Amino acid sequence: MRPGIDRLQPQFAFPWLLHTVQREERPRRAGVSVLLFPRRSRCPDQAQHITPNYGGGWGGLRSLGKLMAMSIQSNDLPSDRQAIILDSINDGVFTVDRQWRITSFNRAAERITGVKRNQALGRSCCEVFRANICETACALRQTLTTGRPIVNKAMYILDAHGNRIPISISTAAFRDEQGDIIGGAETFRDLRLVDELRKELEAKYSFAEIVGRSPAMRQVFQILPQIAESDSTVLIEGASGTGKELFARAIHNLSSRRDGRFVALNCGALPDTLLESELFGHKAGAFTDARQDKPGRFAQADGGTLLLDEIGDITPAMQVRLLRVLQEKTFEPLGSVESVKTDVRVIAATNKDLGKLVRKGTFREDLFYRIHVIRLVLPSLRDRREDIPLLVEHFVGKFNRLQGKDVAGVSDDVLARLMEHDYPGNVRELENIIEHAFVLCRGGLIQLAHLPPGLRGGAAGEAPLDLAGMTLEAMERFLIADALRRHHGNRSAAAKHLGIHPSTLFRKAKALGIELPENDGRST
Amino acid sequence: MVIAIPVWQGRVSPVLDVAGQLLIVAHDGSAETARRHELLPDEGPELRAQRLRTLGVQTLLCGAISRPLEDLLVSSGIEVVPRICGEAEEVLRAYLSAELYEDRFAMPGCCGQKRRRCHGRRGGNHRQPPC
Repeated sequence: MRPGIDRLQPQFAFPWLLHTVQREERPRRAGVSVLLFPRRSRCPDQAQHITPNYGGGWGGLRSLGKLMAMSIQSNDLPSDRQAIILDSINDGVFTVDRQWRITSFNRAAERITGVKRNQALGRSCCEVFRANICETACALRQTLTTGRPIVNKAMYILDAHGNRIPISISTAAFRDEQGDIIGGAETFRDLRLVDELRKELEAKYSFAEIVGRSPAMRQVFQILPQIAESDSTVLIEGASGTGKELFARAIHNLSSRRDGRFVALNCGALPDTLLESELFGHKAGAFTDARQDKPGRFAQADGGTLLLDEIGDITPAMQVRLLRVLQEKTFEPLGSVESVKTDVRVIAATNKDLGKLVRKGTFREDLFYRIHVIRLVLPSLRDRREDIPLLVEHFVGKFNRLQGKDVAGVSDDVLARLMEHDYPGNVRELENIIEHAFVLCRGGLIQLAHLPPGLRGGAAGEAPLDLAGMTLEAMERFLIADALRRHHGNRSAAAKHLGIHPSTLFRKAKALGIELPENDGRST
Repeated sequence: MVIAIPVWQGRVSPVLDVAGQLLIVAHDGSAETARRHELLPDEGPELRAQRLRTLGVQTLLCGAISRPLEDLLVSSGIEVVPRICGEAEEVLRAYLSAELYEDRFAMPGCCGQKRRRCHGRRGGNHRQPPC
């Protein structure tokens, strides 16, 4: 009696089985070629010897095959124990013959599908399994046609009550001694719990479609409802692509003005005269070709929220007009002599440091303080790298839904590359990278080859490091400067990254003429 | 009366939500008077329910069906007889001769389930299956 098999009990979890097989049996049983499985029979006792397909299937299915194979070769595992092994597995397993009749059906399969074994045996698998892919893209059919296993394909089945059960399946083909395919097996894993946990996590780390778990983002999530509750003007500061409009929309949707309209206008994209007309509207005859009245954005957003994006780009003359509207809550459309009252909450957004513009004299101080009632600073993606995996998962899910694809995620190499990148375009750039990868990736994991060319070999936006012809000194200068930049001037972290002592870093920086950043990165 | 059966490989399609073809049969209560096949595009439950309404389907005999789609169909006045399996022609004959309640037409695991849902109009050509 083999100790590994003898100890098998129904309550043992599947990973234990896998572990047992690998640890105790694999070295001695590498050449196993016989697998026991019932065929064209409702009774598990009626069995025949067939050769398993070890062509790289899911670990669970392969190990199950190995375990069954060992039981036959050693003749020490009667059929009731085979049933125990099948039933001890936490994943659903069923096997079919060439006519798609179910020949075995384990206890987990009963639990997940809600179909009893005696009802399932002998029935057509699609009528028992009721999966969304049965008709169009049956995984078992594909495996039995090509002989190639399918691993971890996500799909759903319908239970007897019409509830959708998300599962992942893997398939493998069975061959007889001549190598002909005589049936197949499908294992399936109930993903309901995984789905629930994922949703809980998503809810915990997202806020009105904004994703993040970094301390900076959590802080923003905490104050966002309070900001939305008030009716004060908000200034959102953040680099391009950090999601300023998304935050503005979230504030609007959480506020009491949510039934009103959310109107956004990019002030930097329009010349003064056009911007004035866009903001305040015009009367017929106000200027050449103005044949009829046109309401402006303030009128459109009445009772709602108006986002003035790129507010730092408007001219001083326009600043004065805007200040008047914000102070007096009235405006005059172009060509009109009457003032119009407005009830609009204004959210201003900019990627510039407005305080600096005020000091330079290019932005009016009074307007600055008028819009600076509540200030929300959005961190750059490079300052919240811990959010990158979550954002990647979010965008993969989003593009899977939009494009009807089944991309599982990104490979470790890709994630490492994405974590290293500096993202001058912030979250928008990351989204574009994933969208680019989706064009090239047909399924499975996104690989390095699917990334935009700039990211495949080195970080995008940086000059590639050309080692040919580079002196040792130039290389040291490049690496030290790069490490300091990556660690935001933090000398200790940069030295640790380079594997040298901080004092060595200081000495080398001085010798190589590298100017150490003023900010040493410890306070940020 | 117009009944519809989603068909795949000559049998009742296992899942209505993704079925690609529909057999539509007009009958006078006991015998078929006309029939045609319609293709169902891959679409969400709302559009699928709308399509069935547009096709004038009054009774639908189908395999597994998701709860949202079933609710949409029932609320739009279509009588739904779900969790049916077997050869489509045999199912049709059984329906017309009021023999659809037989166990051989029930999907595995659905024995004892309520096999008919309709909204407003009552009737139909089959009896409720025994539980």
